[in-house]
Amino acid sequence: MQIIENLSVKEKLYIEKLKNGLTVMIIPKKGIRKKYVMWATHYGSIDNKFIVPGEENATNVPDGVAHFLEHKMFEQENGTNSLDTLTALGVNANAYTTNNYTTYLFESTDNFYPALDELMDYVQKPYFTDENVEKEKGIIAQEIKMYDDYPDWAVYMNAIRNMYKNNPIKIDIAGSVESIYKIDKEILYKCYNTFYNPSNMVMCFCGDFEPEKLVEEVKKRLIDKPNQAEIKRIYEEEPEGIIKKRIEQKMEVSMPLFVIGIKDKIPEKNEDIVKKHIAIEILLNIIIGKSSRLYKELYEKELLISEPFLEYEFTDNYAHIAITGMSTDPDKVLEKIEQEIEKLKEEGLNLKDFERIKNMLYGNAVKEYNNVSDIARMFITDYFKGINSFDYLESYKQITLEYTYEILKEVFLKDKTVISIVKGK
Amino acid sequence: MSYSIEEIKQGVKLHCIDTNKFKTNLMAVFITLPLNREKVTFDTVIPAVLKRGTANLNTQEEISKKLENMYGASFDCGIEKIGDNHVIKFYLEALNDNFVPENSKQNMSKDSIDLLLDIILNPLTENNQFKNEYVEAEKNNIKRLIESKIDNKDQYALNKCIEEMYKDEPYGLYKYGYTEDLDKINSKNLYQYYIELINTSKIDIFISGELNTKEILEVVKNNENINKLKERKPNYIVNNEQTENKEEVQEKEIEEKMDIAQGKLVIGLDVELNDYNSKFPVSIYNVILGESATSKLFQNVREKASLAYTARSNYVRQKNNIYIRCGIEIENYDKALKIIKEQLEEMKNGNFTEEDLENSKKYMISGIQSAQDEQDSEITYYIGQELSGMLTTFEEYIKKINEVKLKDVKNVGNKVKINTIYFLRN
Repeated sequence: MQIIENLSVKEKLYIEKLKNGLTVMIIPKKGIRKKYVMWATHYGSIDNKFIVPGEENATNVPDGVAHFLEHKMFEQENGTNSLDTLTALGVNANAYTTNNYTTYLFESTDNFYPALDELMDYVQKPYFTDENVEKEKGIIAQEIKMYDDYPDWAVYMNAIRNMYKNNPIKIDIAGSVESIYKIDKEILYKCYNTFYNPSNMVMCFCGDFEPEKLVEEVKKRLIDKPNQAEIKRIYEEEPEGIIKKRIEQKMEVSMPLFVIGIKDKIPEKNEDIVKKHIAIEILLNIIIGKSSRLYKELYEKELLISEPFLEYEFTDNYAHIAITGMSTDPDKVLEKIEQEIEKLKEEGLNLKDFERIKNMLYGNAVKEYNNVSDIARMFITDYFKGINSFDYLESYKQITLEYTYEILKEVFLKDKTVISIVKGK
Repeated sequence: MSYSIEEIKQGVKLHCIDTNKFKTNLMAVFITLPLNREKVTFDTVIPAVLKRGTANLNTQEEISKKLENMYGASFDCGIEKIGDNHVIKFYLEALNDNFVPENSKQNMSKDSIDLLLDIILNPLTENNQFKNEYVEAEKNNIKRLIESKIDNKDQYALNKCIEEMYKDEPYGLYKYGYTEDLDKINSKNLYQYYIELINTSKIDIFISGELNTKEILEVVKNNENINKLKERKPNYIVNNEQTENKEEVQEKEIEEKMDIAQGKLVIGLDVELNDYNSKFPVSIYNVILGESATSKLFQNVREKASLAYTARSNYVRQKNNIYIRCGIEIENYDKALKIIKEQLEEMKNGNFTEEDLENSKKYMISGIQSAQDEQDSEITYYIGQELSGMLTTFEEYIKKINEVKLKDVKNVGNKVKINTIYFLRN
């Protein structure tokens, strides 16, 4: 078993790759009552075109299959539902789907191993019938409609659609009410058999565990499955540029919401993406973070009432910045941000601001290690990006002002910037 | 873990939670006062103005820089209704000294305490009133905050249902207040109100983290802002006292239209039980009815009838209410309502098993144990206890849950009545 220790947060990561290809990660936390586990497959809403190992032709599936599978996995052949079984054990169980992975999880304070029995049983034993697949459609349709009433979801998805032409990230994770009605049990089985192979999956545990013992417990519960060849995922070529600069939608909101997006190049194989990620976060805070001169100005002019939410989102096939907030005049906010970026490019970055923000971000990274569920989620999310989460803590020390300035010039480009607005009716 | 309370001045308590589970220290200050229509909006403007500047750090920018320099310490403030009280909350989270890089010369615990108390108790003033510019700007921000209640439709529907159930009662007030009050607020009367507030209200200071409790106590006691505070006999509503009479309530149906994709159904229930010991069986009743995945609502509205994605209930123990919430197709209103009423009937008839009872206990106990692994949840638990006028420890809470019998839960079923059915539709 590989052990990686991080002295900044005084935590250890144990990693074991099993014979069947499954990766197990364990972050032990002494003295914590909660035990948390996530079992994830590298399969999300963007994987709707792929070649099944051993087949020649590509398979195309309707939008929303990964999420549909997530709903249906809990159903068991003996008529029970694993969510009920887990709940009855007193553990808090759930599952969710993102763009690039699907994960099943539970949090327990007692009954950990009986719950692990159930988790590992239901994730390895799908049971789909025409009837139980049909029944789920009404539920998922209501889930989709619930999101339709969230203005923050609409404003975000519109920004994504303004940036991406072909990348399937522009599809809603749950699909659409139309697309889910095309899903049947054959499609679900095919996707399950392709993506739920141990070699495409990772398990992450956080809590008071003995790592060696835990790995043995996992092995005992695994069904024999051959380690399968690589799944070829097909994504259409994505142009570098954006689609449209501006989009506006009307909904019942009190004040306009906006997302400013900056499309970035797809990360390259050997690129130090952690370093770049940190540099972008530093820059976003220098540009429009809480202590920035621009935030002060916009707050005083009442163009912003709270600091925007700043994020760099990426996987191995997309990357963009999202600045999310509310403003009476989002177009003005965009104009000011674009001006500030140009100004910083001309003037250069201030060392004092740079150091202060770097310290802040370092502190925020340490705080991520407070809660077992946050820790597991972070390690899983980073794992599918090819990152060990500890790398962030160490990379802060290496980021220089010069490097950050280079990233400013390279990434923060006006012709890659879009704005999406949701306004009241 | 140890939890200790010390009254550092009459009406001002320091709560220390000594725990080594976290990388951070979390400090929280709660100012509690009775909800009242006259002042509800004033209460909301106060923290907004306080965060703008202190006598030492005059601007928000300076405060932000100070926080950033403390390795990203984070400050937050807000306002909450807890029973009939309005609680103004302030939080500061900072790295524990053990996790601050070695070259740093900061004393995080002391700096955090001093900074948070500086923001709350030592505001920037001009001519014995708040800085006018800050008050006017924050009034505008609060106006927008109040107006934004329509943005989250689920929350809006719940608030409307509560408002209907508590018309002309303190608990029916909107926690952020009312836009029409803002014109009455100025930097002078707001400052006067603030002075009255901090010298007469109940104040609870919580510090959670790996602490030297003795040292912390000294730091707080010697803080000059604390020294300025007066002893007080605070006025607040102890949360075990229900202030309304719930018998004789007529069930009513209310419908409201908005341009939305999905209908939001909220059903407010009254529980006609008002003693401390009844809270535990009612909690279990609620879990069986609608809080967990095995609950009657989840199983019947969602899993069997496929009418909804969300179908659940939650229990507000301070007010003896349960709220059922689900998102449905507009035309399925009658169908959903019928199924929900059937579930209430099932509960009334005691159609649940010993197994349901045991599962619900496990669910509740697991929840309460998890709270001790989260710094903010643990503080939230203890402030709830503080305001209820008696401390139930985690152990006692678990014991009380375990003591609940099937017949106690059946008894609850007969004491639950629909008060209001609210439907937000297009």
